[in-house]
Amino acid sequence: MHKRLIVLLSLAALLLAACGGAGPSGEGFTFGMILVGPQNDHGWSQAHYEGGQYVVENLPGAEMIVFDLLNPADKPEATLEGVVDEMVAQGATLIFTTSDEFEEDTTTVAAKYPDVVFVNVSGDDALTGEAPANLSNVMGRMEEMKAIAGCAAALTTQTGQLGYVGPLINHETLRLTASAYLGARHCYETYRGESGDDLQFTVSWIGFWFNIPGVTSDPTEVTTNFLDTGVDVVLSGIDTTEAINVAGQRAAAGATVWAVPYDYLGACDNAPAICLGVPFFNWGPDYLAIAEAVVEGNWSQSWLWNGPNWDDLSDLDSTSVGWLNGPGLSEEAAANLADYISKLASGEVAVWTGPINLQNGTPYIAAGAVGTDEEIWYLPQLLEGMQGPSQ
Amino acid sequence: MQVQLNTIHKQFGSLVANDEISVQFEPGRIYGLLGENGAGKSTLMKILSGYQQPDRGEIVLNGAAQHFASPRQALAAGVGMLYQEPLDVPVFTVLENFLLGRAHDGERPQQSAKALTQLAGRYGFQVDPHEHTRELSMGERQQLELLRLLAGGAEVLILDEPTTGISAEQKDLLFASMRTLAREEGKTLILVSHKLDEVQELCDYAYVLRKGRLVGGVQLPCPNQELVDLMFDELAPRPARRQPASGDVLLHLQHITVRTPRLELEPVSLQLQAGQVLGLAGLEGSGQELLLRACAGLLPLSGGSLRLGGQPQPDWDYPRARQHGVAYLAAGRLEEGLIAGLTLTEHMALVSNAHGLLVDWPQNRQLAAQHIATYQVVGQPESYIENLSGGNQQRFLFAMLPQNLKLILMEHPTRGLDIRSTDWIWEQLDQRRAQGTAIIFLSADLDEIAARSDQIAVFSGGRLLRSVPAAETTADELGHLIGGAL
Amino acid sequence: MSLSKTRLERVWPLLPGLAALLVTTLLLLAMGTSPVDAYSAMWQGAFGTSARVYSVLAFLVPLLLAASGLLLTFKAGLWNIGIEGQIIMGAVAASWVALRVQLPSGLQIPLELLAAMAGGALWAALAGVLKTRGGVHEIFGGLALNNLAILFTNYLIAGPWQPPEGGSFRGTQPFGAHALLPLFENSRLSLLSLALAIVAFAGVALVLTNSHWGLRLKALGQNARSAFLLGVSSNREMLLAMAVCGALAGLGGGVRVLSWFDSLRQSISGGIGYLALMVVLLAGFRLVLTPLVAFFFSAVLNGSITLQLRTQLHSALGDILTGVLVLLVLLFGNYERVRRAFRRRRSQADG
Repeated sequence: MHKRLIVLLSLAALLLAACGGAGPSGEGFTFGMILVGPQNDHGWSQAHYEGGQYVVENLPGAEMIVFDLLNPADKPEATLEGVVDEMVAQGATLIFTTSDEFEEDTTTVAAKYPDVVFVNVSGDDALTGEAPANLSNVMGRMEEMKAIAGCAAALTTQTGQLGYVGPLINHETLRLTASAYLGARHCYETYRGESGDDLQFTVSWIGFWFNIPGVTSDPTEVTTNFLDTGVDVVLSGIDTTEAINVAGQRAAAGATVWAVPYDYLGACDNAPAICLGVPFFNWGPDYLAIAEAVVEGNWSQSWLWNGPNWDDLSDLDSTSVGWLNGPGLSEEAAANLADYISKLASGEVAVWTGPINLQNGTPYIAAGAVGTDEEIWYLPQLLEGMQGPSQ
Repeated sequence: MQVQLNTIHKQFGSLVANDEISVQFEPGRIYGLLGENGAGKSTLMKILSGYQQPDRGEIVLNGAAQHFASPRQALAAGVGMLYQEPLDVPVFTVLENFLLGRAHDGERPQQSAKALTQLAGRYGFQVDPHEHTRELSMGERQQLELLRLLAGGAEVLILDEPTTGISAEQKDLLFASMRTLAREEGKTLILVSHKLDEVQELCDYAYVLRKGRLVGGVQLPCPNQELVDLMFDELAPRPARRQPASGDVLLHLQHITVRTPRLELEPVSLQLQAGQVLGLAGLEGSGQELLLRACAGLLPLSGGSLRLGGQPQPDWDYPRARQHGVAYLAAGRLEEGLIAGLTLTEHMALVSNAHGLLVDWPQNRQLAAQHIATYQVVGQPESYIENLSGGNQQRFLFAMLPQNLKLILMEHPTRGLDIRSTDWIWEQLDQRRAQGTAIIFLSADLDEIAARSDQIAVFSGGRLLRSVPAAETTADELGHLIGGAL
Repeated sequence: MSLSKTRLERVWPLLPGLAALLVTTLLLLAMGTSPVDAYSAMWQGAFGTSARVYSVLAFLVPLLLAASGLLLTFKAGLWNIGIEGQIIMGAVAASWVALRVQLPSGLQIPLELLAAMAGGALWAALAGVLKTRGGVHEIFGGLALNNLAILFTNYLIAGPWQPPEGGSFRGTQPFGAHALLPLFENSRLSLLSLALAIVAFAGVALVLTNSHWGLRLKALGQNARSAFLLGVSSNREMLLAMAVCGALAGLGGGVRVLSWFDSLRQSISGGIGYLALMVVLLAGFRLVLTPLVAFFFSAVLNGSITLQLRTQLHSALGDILTGVLVLLVLLFGNYERVRRAFRRRRSQADG
């Protein structure tokens, strides 16, 4: 993690030097960062936390106030409103609420503080028009990165069995999981020459974005169970890193297994040798753009669903989402994966190309057609060929 | 070791247990500490043995003032106390209990076992180091405790009512060992007792306490009357025993059996008439406890039938027994009967059967005060029950018994009680008998069984050996019967 | 010697508080923060604005209700760890009425609160029956029932009660306005619930000091065997104590969904039950201290939100402060009482 941080900081320093102070000054600017999990989870919450740090680095003088673990299991006495009250009292003019758990409450407090800009990840109130004028939504367009993750897994598996540790079931998680499956199936057929029907792709939902003892299934147990039943590549869809941790322990004990973590650029560091790569969110550039707009007074409401910088999926100053190859990926697989990425970038291949059937057999996207944004966003269930519950 | 207790004062609430008591004990001698229940004997000895701390006063051993925060400190200084209930751990072996709380680093188990058997041999005790303590009789546990204290370096030994619940042979053995300890080994021995005969037989000198004060010291032997005069203000003559009212059959047991993991009661058939007293004799654990508890509904019958007043009682249990006017008084008063942490008034309110939602505290306080007066309990309505002496606790238990009972079941009704309390309690029971209440009791005191019963049932090894009218036997004969020497 | 001992006994209760203050001050210094700033941030966070005070009071309500119930069960010698599940089941039962019944507020809300009490009471009685009939110790039965209550909530949120637009697993759809407790000045505080909590505590105080039932519970807690022999029906009284405690805890759960939140959420309690256990332990099972300690806990936890935001220290600092306090009090302050309570448990377990 620290290595990445140093890379990030030196990049930021370079950028500052290059710009020569051309950017706006953040002097006197304070923003709040509200996290649902711990700020050092090597996953979802840390990615946001570092996005906030990116703003601090690139907007000289800006100050960040962080509040993490805001969820009723960890802090039954805390409310989003109470935290926002205090942040506003400390002078925050921009507040990020980084969980769809906070969507409803963010809309409420945004109405209470019309002079403060709120950004909720990953709600859609700004899209549906339910949000007050001072509330934006931001989300990374992760679908293709998930397809790349699925592809890397399919290129590597020896048993033909992939396991996906899912959080809870909603439209977002259904479409991301399905994207990973589509990428895996495509690469299994195209590069390995196998039949896509022979690829086994199992989803196990733990029930929430991270482990809450007694509330969710334990992701450690879920992963262990996968690896005990023939799965040799586990993909994570949850906020935390149990999947790669367990796979790393198994590999250290001699097993031939791999993992694909999620969310955070540095997640591979937990077990580099068996990490095939990570699809990550890079909130920094989007957050910086919003912060600069707020400072300069030209911010306006938006619903951002930003995709990657296809020229360089790991350029931290430009890409909103990305993919980073892991040390566990073989050279041959890396070459095939690069080919897949270039075809996605050029538009030669689309992840959501029909025929695609829903899990219950209903045709969803016709043969030859490509799914629209709406069809992808509101996917109602898992796809045919995937194992695991759809609701 | 010379022991001096100087102006020891101890108070529990408004109850003065020890009022400026000063006494002195010399090595090589056996002392008796006499007094009726609640006189302050036990408190004084608990203070000397570190179990309680005095409010004022000092303990001086061989001229050096001491302060004991715990029994362990007292033992380290040379003072050990043998309680009525030995403080051993039932699941441990004899050896483990012997070594309990003692530094024995580097000593191997075989060495310790050898040391134990050697020490035991010196006093004629026979011990098996590897037997579980729960298998031992009261007398054997006492011997073990004594050995543990001696091995721990005790120079002063306090024995609190050591002869209740042990057989005649064990008592002789205990007294012989006490003489050896004093005469040959120069230890200081203190016997706490209310049994005048024992004190006369064994002791060189007796201190007598009354109501928390030292009222005198007497060179022994002396006429019994002299001791009695010191112990009691006045002692009413024991009233003549009333004749049993010949009544209807109240309790009818047919071939009842009771099964517990440790003992099985073989079929017993008995009849008890209203107003009759049945005494159950036997060494501890011979089956008489099972019979008593089964009658109280505290143990289920595994066979046979129980009839009360002619009615069969197929689903006999304790709440039902209470409803039918059966009362049960267990041996362990603070374990089964009274509730430490509750005052006398709270006890009264608890059993008052009042139906209202709220407790009428003034009324219950008054009721408690009445019972305290009627039953001559030394204590206040606000006293916590655990601060009363054993005898006063027993009196209070009797005070809580409902009127108009059909049957009273008792374990050791007068254990640890002085003559006056014992007489008083049997006088109370006699009055109830006259009203038709039947009584079943068990006791380790064979004199008591012989003197107080109409009918006597003798138990051995889970079997009813013999049932005889009290008039046709003696305590002596019973003593041989319970030993199984038939 | 005896004189100095009584003086020591008199200042004894103050020692753990001072020790806790010392420990946390050292902790803050070690983290490089000015303790004065930190404590003033906590004070501000708890009492700085009227909104903060309302928040402290709103969080106090379920805590005080649960702690009042625990006074009963502790008096009867029971360790009702299942209180957490009882809060949750109260919330579930209140939610059921809120989602499925349509009545005017004047009828709807009392019905919801009664359902909450019934839900909590039922769940507590289950733990009681497991103990009296099944011989399952209330600690183990309670923990199992806590987990079951959480799983049941999750099932409801993810299944039958999920919002029509699809489950996010966050909670059920918000209840109608008529089903929610009226809130005081835009806060999450319902004055009605505060009044109910105060009445409940007063009721428990009356029961414990002046009622026959309270006396029977005390007897049971001090010596269950003797109490039984003196005619106390131990099973019935234990069940009743559990059920009443569960009803109060359930009411707290109902207040939680009907005022703090507006729907049934996962982690509806989030450990308020365990917090209430700590409150009663810290108060040393004493009546008068219990509401004060509950208020103190609510203030410290609310204050620690501001503490974290101002100092950017570790987010668990509030929990650490209360934890240190409870530990120190258990170590020094009420050790005699707690020891007695434990010894009592042990002797019962033997018997």
